Amino acid sequence: MSHNSGAHGDAGATKQNNAASTDASLNARAKSPRGGKPKGWLISLISVLVVVAVIIGVTMYFNGKTASDAGAGDAGANGASQTADTVTVGIKLAPVNLDIRHQSGSALEQLLIGNVYEGLVSRDSDNKVQPGLAKSWEISADGLTYTFHLNENMNFSNGDALDADDVAWSINELKAQKYYNYDQVKNLDKAEAVDADTVKITLSAPDSNMLWYLSGRPGLVFDKDAQYDAKTSAVGSGPYDVVSFDASDKLVLKANDKYWGADHKAKTPNVVVRFLPDDNAAVNALKSGDVQVLSPITATLAKPFQSDPEHYTVAANDGSDKFVLAFNVANPKLADQRVRQAIRYGIDHAQIIASRGGVDAALGGPIPSVDPGYEDLTNLYPHDADKAKALMAEAGYTADKPLQLTLTYANVYGTELGDQLRSQLKEIGIDLKINYVEFSTWLQDVHTNGDYELSLVDHAESHDFYKWATPSYYYHYDNKQVQDLYAKALAATTDAEADDYLRQAARIVSEDAPADWLFGYRVTVAMAKGVDGFPSRLSQSVLPLYSVTYRK
Amino acid sequence: MRFLAHRLLLFAAALFGVSVLVFVALRILPGDVAAVMAGTAATPDRIAALRVQFGLDRPLVVQYFDWVGGLLRGDLGTSALTGRAVIAQVGQRAAITFPLIVMSLAVALLIGLPLGCASVLARGRRMRGFLHVLAIVGGAVPALWSGLLLILLFSRGIGLIGLFPSQGFPSEGWHDFGRALASLVLPAVATGVVAGASITRYTRAAVGDVADGGAVDMAMACGMTRTQAVLRVGLRLATPQLVSVAGLTFAQMITGVMVVESLFALPGLGALLIGDVGNRDLIAVQSELFLLAAFFLALGLAIDLIHRALDPRLKATNANGDE
Repeated sequence: MSHNSGAHGDAGATKQNNAASTDASLNARAKSPRGGKPKGWLISLISVLVVVAVIIGVTMYFNGKTASDAGAGDAGANGASQTADTVTVGIKLAPVNLDIRHQSGSALEQLLIGNVYEGLVSRDSDNKVQPGLAKSWEISADGLTYTFHLNENMNFSNGDALDADDVAWSINELKAQKYYNYDQVKNLDKAEAVDADTVKITLSAPDSNMLWYLSGRPGLVFDKDAQYDAKTSAVGSGPYDVVSFDASDKLVLKANDKYWGADHKAKTPNVVVRFLPDDNAAVNALKSGDVQVLSPITATLAKPFQSDPEHYTVAANDGSDKFVLAFNVANPKLADQRVRQAIRYGIDHAQIIASRGGVDAALGGPIPSVDPGYEDLTNLYPHDADKAKALMAEAGYTADKPLQLTLTYANVYGTELGDQLRSQLKEIGIDLKINYVEFSTWLQDVHTNGDYELSLVDHAESHDFYKWATPSYYYHYDNKQVQDLYAKALAATTDAEADDYLRQAARIVSEDAPADWLFGYRVTVAMAKGVDGFPSRLSQSVLPLYSVTYRK
Repeated sequence: MRFLAHRLLLFAAALFGVSVLVFVALRILPGDVAAVMAGTAATPDRIAALRVQFGLDRPLVVQYFDWVGGLLRGDLGTSALTGRAVIAQVGQRAAITFPLIVMSLAVALLIGLPLGCASVLARGRRMRGFLHVLAIVGGAVPALWSGLLLILLFSRGIGLIGLFPSQGFPSEGWHDFGRALASLVLPAVATGVVAGASITRYTRAAVGDVADGGAVDMAMACGMTRTQAVLRVGLRLATPQLVSVAGLTFAQMITGVMVVESLFALPGLGALLIGDVGNRDLIAVQSELFLLAAFFLALGLAIDLIHRALDPRLKATNANGDE
């Protein structure tokens, strides 16, 4: 109604205006109705807003009502035991392809190992080695011969039989073709099939990590007769088959109906893994029920789910992710141990962890809590700005003559970390410049060329202490004592002995301060109520999905 | 005819220039796909082996002619990382991005044209001021923010009124037409509102210029009201300019929708390009950029031709100049 009157007023005014231009006195009078006109518009605007508000209110009311009705109906009709035939899991980073023998990235291991491909041995959520395709094994007294006894009647998802020949072929190919992680098992000499169900692996030197490495990529068994495009599809022996894969969207898995085993048979017929790199989109997906699990969810965004325990469970879990602030010891400025120690004293880890949502673990050394040889080393360099300043002064730097350093790190980690480090180190007389680059630039400059002063990266791998015993790695850390201890740990024949050597080596590395370990990233997982069997710990590297179920 | 031939020649020359520029610019970037594939646990051995596998150890000139030779045969190459043909990847992503752009442009024009005309026709100073402020504020709103607002208002499961899905694209794609369209509504509105504000300003300027000119006065002298004269005569005279603006907005949106695509988790061209550059999948990136550049150039060509067809004066002056 008010629209109409406004339009009328408009038309009338136009006429008046035209007429007015001929007579000055009329023109002056014509202004008063014109001055009143915007009020007409204003009224119509307000009335439109009111109508919109009423519509929104009514829709909201009915929306809420139908939603709650539907919810009640569901629960009433189906009871509480309706198990969904599809579980959708949201993860952050997608693998670019499925070629687990060539492509790097923990997302591949997380998604494919234990679900689509299976290894000679497997790994549980405590990071311990468990039987896999092999049901048992013996290790010779000198640690050089491993004999694996395979399960019987195993097959791949395409129906091909899986026997000792496939196992030996897969491992020998890994060595010959230099597939991803082939260097982890450099002490492995060869694998041979003794009979259909027995595989013998010979080592050139004892290696206490060998079994654990075989639970990762090096131990995976592939079908030597199958022809398929490994980048977009997969033929494995695991409880799930790949239906489709799109790195920009999702990985669709379907239960492998020919699965050979009973223990790991898929409990949910379809599992969809969606890739949600945008944190807000991820949170929205969980809220709207498009995904039932978010792993990981940014800790600071998890609060609304935490405060709604009726519908969601949120938990933070230990993992092997180490945020390593590496100091290039080959750089003259950082060759001075006092400077490195000053940086470690100068960093307030508690503040960094608190600003990230307070779930991450303080980490004082190179070995995370889930790995053998872990020891709490956070007391070695507690936050102490005065001590840091004293060390800097000893090394010849003052507030007037600060030490200039450049930190190179990849833009996948957010700018906050660099800003925090800069302001914390400023207090102890270090002028930190931030070189915030793409991950591939970091890989080239820091990792491949070793050309940096400070570097920050998340080393997600478990069992990666070898990097501190390898001087050619970009850390450039070269300490004979550490290398000897690490060699002894590898040669040790009992776990306890190996752990002991690793512990000693880790302490020496930490005391030497070739890096600071900012924190151990703990993965926060948020799940809708009704999700069961989702692996909690170490879900960033092993994510067995066979036991996941969702009851609506 | 001569004009067309001239433009086509320019088009081809520009494409060649683009191919060189894209190729060289990408080689300046540090890092390569072999290092990315090999990751943080890589040994130099493995990186070298991968470089050979991807042909990155060959001289750059050879790599360039290899690529351009493929382009001439219509072969855009294969992504080193995904192992899929670049043309298939681009096609799959464009099937999301282009409909989104078209929808956004439709929203923008639906908002921009009426408001632009209204602000020329508006008599009251306050109304005029209000429309002016609306156009400026609308243009200043980041699409990211308007997108978030739309999610809070209209997305299913989160918003006040659950009308549309807030993220993702149905995996069946356009086979599930209704859902595919629904998933693009909120992102299209988010970008369309912002672009609509700038179209409002362009329309006001273009129509306003014409309205001050003689044609509208003439029409009014012939008995039309001012509103009629502006809408029937003025708008028509302003059409060539508006077509250019719409074309440019279209081109801008190819990059403009990237932010919104990521907010709504739509796997569009933006995500593809960013991902491929990040992974240094250069064969894929250079072909994708080349395609985009070719598209921009073709768009420019099309706008020029339409412009000429719509505005007989241009044809006349050009023909005179030629002869």
